Amino acid sequence: MSGAAHAAPKTLRTQAIGLFLLAFFFALLFVTTRAIPHVDGGVGAVAAVGFLLLAGTLASELVEGIGLPHLSAYIAVGVIAGPHALNLIDHAVVDRISPVNTLALALIALAGGAELKLDLVLRGLKSLAWATLVQSAVVLTLMTVTFVALSRYIPFTHGLGHAGLLGVALLWATLAVSRSPSACLGILAQLRPRGPLTDFSLTFVMTSDVVVVVLMAGVLAITKPLIDPGAAFSLRALGDLGHELLGSVALGTTLGLVLAGYLRAVGRNLVVVFLALGFGLSELLHYLRFEPLLTFLTAGFLVQNLTNQGQKLLVAIEETGSVVYVIFFATAGAHLDVPLLRSLWPMALALSTTRALYSWGAARLASRLAQDPPVLRTWAVASLVSQAGLTLGLTVLIEREFPGLGGPFRALATATVALNEVAGPILFKLALDRTGETGQAPSGRASTPDLSSA
Amino acid sequence: MKAIFVLVGLLVLSYAGSLFSGRRTIHGAGLPSSVEYAVLGFVLGPHMLGIIGRDLITTFEPVAQIAVGWLALVIGLDFGRNADSRVAYKNMALGLVNGALTGVVVGGAVWLACRRLPGAPTGVERVLLAGGLGAACSETTRHAIRWAMERHGAKGKLTSALADFAHADDVVPLLGMAVLFSIAPGAPASVRLPAAVWVAITIGLGTLLGALTTLHIGREARVDHTWGVMFGTSMLGLGIAARAGLSLLTVLFFMGWSTAVFSRHRAPLRAMVVPVERPVLLPALVLAGAHVDFPAPRLLLIIAVAVTARILAKLAFGAMIALPAHASPWLGTGLLSSGAFSMSVGLIFAIRFPGPVGDLVLASAFVTCIVGEAVGPLALRRALVLAGEIVEPAVPSESAASQPGSAS
Repeated sequence: MSGAAHAAPKTLRTQAIGLFLLAFFFALLFVTTRAIPHVDGGVGAVAAVGFLLLAGTLASELVEGIGLPHLSAYIAVGVIAGPHALNLIDHAVVDRISPVNTLALALIALAGGAELKLDLVLRGLKSLAWATLVQSAVVLTLMTVTFVALSRYIPFTHGLGHAGLLGVALLWATLAVSRSPSACLGILAQLRPRGPLTDFSLTFVMTSDVVVVVLMAGVLAITKPLIDPGAAFSLRALGDLGHELLGSVALGTTLGLVLAGYLRAVGRNLVVVFLALGFGLSELLHYLRFEPLLTFLTAGFLVQNLTNQGQKLLVAIEETGSVVYVIFFATAGAHLDVPLLRSLWPMALALSTTRALYSWGAARLASRLAQDPPVLRTWAVASLVSQAGLTLGLTVLIEREFPGLGGPFRALATATVALNEVAGPILFKLALDRTGETGQAPSGRASTPDLSSA
Repeated sequence: MKAIFVLVGLLVLSYAGSLFSGRRTIHGAGLPSSVEYAVLGFVLGPHMLGIIGRDLITTFEPVAQIAVGWLALVIGLDFGRNADSRVAYKNMALGLVNGALTGVVVGGAVWLACRRLPGAPTGVERVLLAGGLGAACSETTRHAIRWAMERHGAKGKLTSALADFAHADDVVPLLGMAVLFSIAPGAPASVRLPAAVWVAITIGLGTLLGALTTLHIGREARVDHTWGVMFGTSMLGLGIAARAGLSLLTVLFFMGWSTAVFSRHRAPLRAMVVPVERPVLLPALVLAGAHVDFPAPRLLLIIAVAVTARILAKLAFGAMIALPAHASPWLGTGLLSSGAFSMSVGLIFAIRFPGPVGDLVLASAFVTCIVGEAVGPLALRRALVLAGEIVEPAVPSESAASQPGSAS
């Protein structure tokens, strides 16, 4: 993911070359997959990773000219090349390259934590507190009501009683409260903005991760007896949550200290260190039932705010992330179930539109209560529309808790996330461009040297 | 054993490799051929401790292919150049002779041995086996000469010429692989093409990808962008080559070579990519070592024939270059070191042709590396000492040592 703010402006010749290369790589993989359709082992995945990286990068350079964010290009490349369109990358290959997501999420969380500077959080604490409170309460309540109101059009709710319907609606509303840290950081990495909207979006979206994880645990405890009449209300889930949160923060603190020590004492070969953390430590965290996102977020936050190694960490993540993010979002695009979206789009559109409207209303109300500057009153909602991996992860959790409900529920959630995933980054970029914050970050961070200076 | 532990282990090795190639470490640390990592892989592999089982080897095949592919890319980028200077045409030609002579002698000897040995491969399999062993056994590793230069301070015309030969001879097995893989194409029956066309596709694909890489990197050539382009294009080329059953090493070599030829940023590109060779190489060697599977005892004779033929061919080449240079006629024994590249050739053969052919080629590459390591570096050092290009430290005499102040 290249920083547009630092890249040289694209000439017509550069754009033409980019278009030619993009068409060529599509044609090359198309001819190969059609001529040799079946392949054993992981070679299909190797070619797919290479293709998504190249095509994603090229497409992102092309869409820059029409004002679209890079993320949209990565997702579009994934959709077009994916199993539901050209099938250059089939389902098996998409599954094989999915472990890259683990690495990407670790890097995103580390970067997210490192971007959260303590003075920034304290400065915007009032806005953050009001926004968190109002967004959670308003969106949770109104989405519950909306889901119940629309339930006659949602086939999988038809057999449910009033209590069951309320339970499912609460679960849906909790999903609606979740945002996308990856999309937020992806846009920030591309545009390098600075200003009140950037600060608010960063702090709110990152902290909302933790809020949603806590909220989901609470809602699961409440909805269990509502959906499954045989189940009793239990606070055990909250106890498990406490263990998970404390353990994650404790381990994240340790990791942050170790990382800071490493950056200070050695400070090189960070790619290998990130790979080991992203794959190895994430696996360990899953085994320990800790929350990887929170652990890495804490580690990044600690390195940034308790040591002087934050800048180094951010630059290193950005260098590695430039490759990993492209594959991550392009894979998300390839994952996008187009036939499902085609069949569920009216309901998905209704639910995602109402969610966006409630988020907008809640953002206006919170800004008023916090006496935010006008720019936030108008645009604070821009970063809140995107949804991606975190939301889908929560749907997997719901499917596990309610196997009878999970499949169709997850399908509708996936269709809604797909719409938000496409529209959200475009809206956020538009807001940053309109507020004039794009490209205002100092060039010291993650400047991209050319080869001759490397 | 869970794949994630193996992955972390490989990353630790990769980290160690990057430290070895760093400025702050002692140059020339470790064995010249790095065969110790292949031996480690063999010990951990299914035939000894079984820590890396067959299922994990299969899981990590793509990783191994990426690693050895990257090695071929680096060799291609560096082809025709020794450090910062261009390899002299005469030395380039002699390097090619070194590789070709050894390859032909080994291949020929194996062919003849297979005719006499009951149960040995026949038909196309025999061609693949003879050719594969010729390809896997032909190179002299560049790292052996580098080891002599960095650890023993070897310096002079002969050292420089040997380094040039070692840089040039890699192209022989790569072209050999392009031909051999085209004889038994991996494409389905609906895509039947003559072998010559497959060879042309192999070389053409690599060259084209290199040209497109240059075009993509463009004039601006930002470091983060360049990494993405190099990585993405090499993965795409590697995947397509493997899918079509072509020699992925040859494709990536030509990609590196054509990038170096076409790009105005050749020197910084080399400076950027070449240091990654070592971190990639060590995990690849461990995986290759774990993949080694010795064939039935009666076929072990083929390995012995290949190793013997290689020794004879190197001796002959050594004598050919030593005589005009007034060096030791046993110089050839100093050229016996082989290493990561031979193991890469063997590994790719083993993946592409599973069964006796692939197993024999990889096992022979493994044995050749061990034999080369036992003989090569010492012989090379001796030859360079005799040629006056390594100055042995003088042993202080007793009387000198007893002089006051001599310790300073």
